[in-house]
Amino acid sequence: MGERRSPPTAEHEQPAGRIERSVDRLHGGLAAVVNGGFFRVTVVSTAVFLYLPVVVVAYLSLSPGSQPSIPLDGATLRWYGEVLTDTRFVRSLATSTAVGAVTAVAGTGLGLLAARTIVRGRLPGWVRAGVAMTVAIPLFVPTVVVAVGIGIAAGRVGLGFGLGPVLAGHLYWVLPFSTFLIASRYATLDDGLVEAAHDLGADGPTAFRTVTLPLLWPALVASVLFAFALSFNEFLITFFLAGSGVTTMPLEIYGKVRIGATTFLNAASVLVLLISGAVAAAAASLEPPT
Amino acid sequence: MSGLTDRSWWPSTPAARGTVADAGLAALPTALAVALGVVPLGFLFVESVSPPVTLTNYAALGGSVYPDVMLRSLGIGVVITGICLTVAYPVTYWLAHRCPARYRLALLVSFTLPLWLNYVVLNYTWVWILAENGLVNVLLTETGLADRPLDLLRGGASVVVGPFALPSLSLGLGFVHIYLPYVLLTMYVSMERLDYRQVEAARDLGAGPVRVFRDIIVPETYGGAVAGALIVYARIAGAFATPQILAAPSEQLIAQVITAQFYDVLNYPFAAALSVAFLAIVLVGFGIGALSSDVRAELGRW
Repeated sequence: MGERRSPPTAEHEQPAGRIERSVDRLHGGLAAVVNGGFFRVTVVSTAVFLYLPVVVVAYLSLSPGSQPSIPLDGATLRWYGEVLTDTRFVRSLATSTAVGAVTAVAGTGLGLLAARTIVRGRLPGWVRAGVAMTVAIPLFVPTVVVAVGIGIAAGRVGLGFGLGPVLAGHLYWVLPFSTFLIASRYATLDDGLVEAAHDLGADGPTAFRTVTLPLLWPALVASVLFAFALSFNEFLITFFLAGSGVTTMPLEIYGKVRIGATTFLNAASVLVLLISGAVAAAAASLEPPT
Repeated sequence: MSGLTDRSWWPSTPAARGTVADAGLAALPTALAVALGVVPLGFLFVESVSPPVTLTNYAALGGSVYPDVMLRSLGIGVVITGICLTVAYPVTYWLAHRCPARYRLALLVSFTLPLWLNYVVLNYTWVWILAENGLVNVLLTETGLADRPLDLLRGGASVVVGPFALPSLSLGLGFVHIYLPYVLLTMYVSMERLDYRQVEAARDLGAGPVRVFRDIIVPETYGGAVAGALIVYARIAGAFATPQILAAPSEQLIAQVITAQFYDVLNYPFAAALSVAFLAIVLVGFGIGALSSDVRAELGRW
């Protein structure tokens, strides 16, 4: 999709000017086509690519039988009823939603603290770099290594298993994502604005609330959405920490996948999409506090 | 008087008080990251050299299929990350600077909505799209474009580039589908930061799309691209469910091997050794990336 924009002309040193100019002229001539069509085609095909499977799931969830065949031999909402009356699934969904909400808000709060430390903290440079490195560990460490490590540690230390460890694991997992999402915006804030607020008599917390927080708001919303999605879908770490008492939605779905309950799964995933879509829409419509 | 000396540890200058306050704010996230990040890696390492102290677990890594599996995992991580970035650049550019403002947030949210669906389910949807009796093959045979169903799922020709094999079609689609929204979100944050006036200025000075992209857009959004790549790369290389569902039998990835050692063979020390070795290789890769002065400068800005 992107090959159009990166022809291998940039590498040549000697004839670079001429080739570059002619390429630029060529692209200048094509500019209308490229600008009008290229982005539209890319955006539309990306959207289709992202949504096609969702549409397929929704379509297949109407199958009368438990194993759908294409094309469907009928349409029914029966499986939605099955999902909503399946107490195990509903409970797992409630658990996942609660864990996701706590993780999203607390993770964004912790991320804000970490981002502030890294970007603006009045601490020695090596401390700030150390905090950044430590927080970033799950980014550099593949998921399966994190999961195996936490699983072995939980068993050895007697950290135990259950809701508390799952929450801790999820918070740890989303922390680097929220931290660096917020930090990359924090770094662009104009120091002068906060100083101006101080000059006008605002104390630290007031300046933070009235100046910094509204400017950070898009990053905070993105962080909450991001963290919720990460937590809501997290499978491996939960798998290692949940024990027998806690079942989140992904664990429940994994169990259902193993017994081959396909149409049930399709209906369940459409319901999950509707619920999380509503949460996303609500989060996106939040206004920054003033 | 004695009260004052008792409190002599308390910082007296405003700057020192600021340092203490900031250290307090930093403590909470750091403690969490240490307890669940550094400590388990220590346990993992100890486990990998047990019983008491031995290197036999590491010696067992060399001779078998494990180097191939690791190389494949890393290569697929690179390829998928590259595809995600290639798609994310034009899409986020359009979203941040071309899209009418009132649709922007709604479109951004809608692009990231699929990430709210469980990825196990998302992977299974590709099974139904690509299978022998799946959507694509039904359409192709019904319309007469193909005589017989194509081998789209967990197979097809594997394209080999140098030491790396490209992922099979189903595995590639499954990976990109899951991880593209993450890259889109991260890229968008830095694309939004790009001052569009720079693009206009470059255009006014006669730069075409290629030069605008290379000299303005890439340098300005480098941080977002690096962040997006960092976020998805290790997750793709260490993915478990997606290859389990969509990979060809010859495409086993490292997480499947580790999980099998952990759950089926119950050989914890060997699973730990595999994890540590894989982690070491991934970190070397990131280390090479971090040696680049551009990346360091970008990280240094934080």
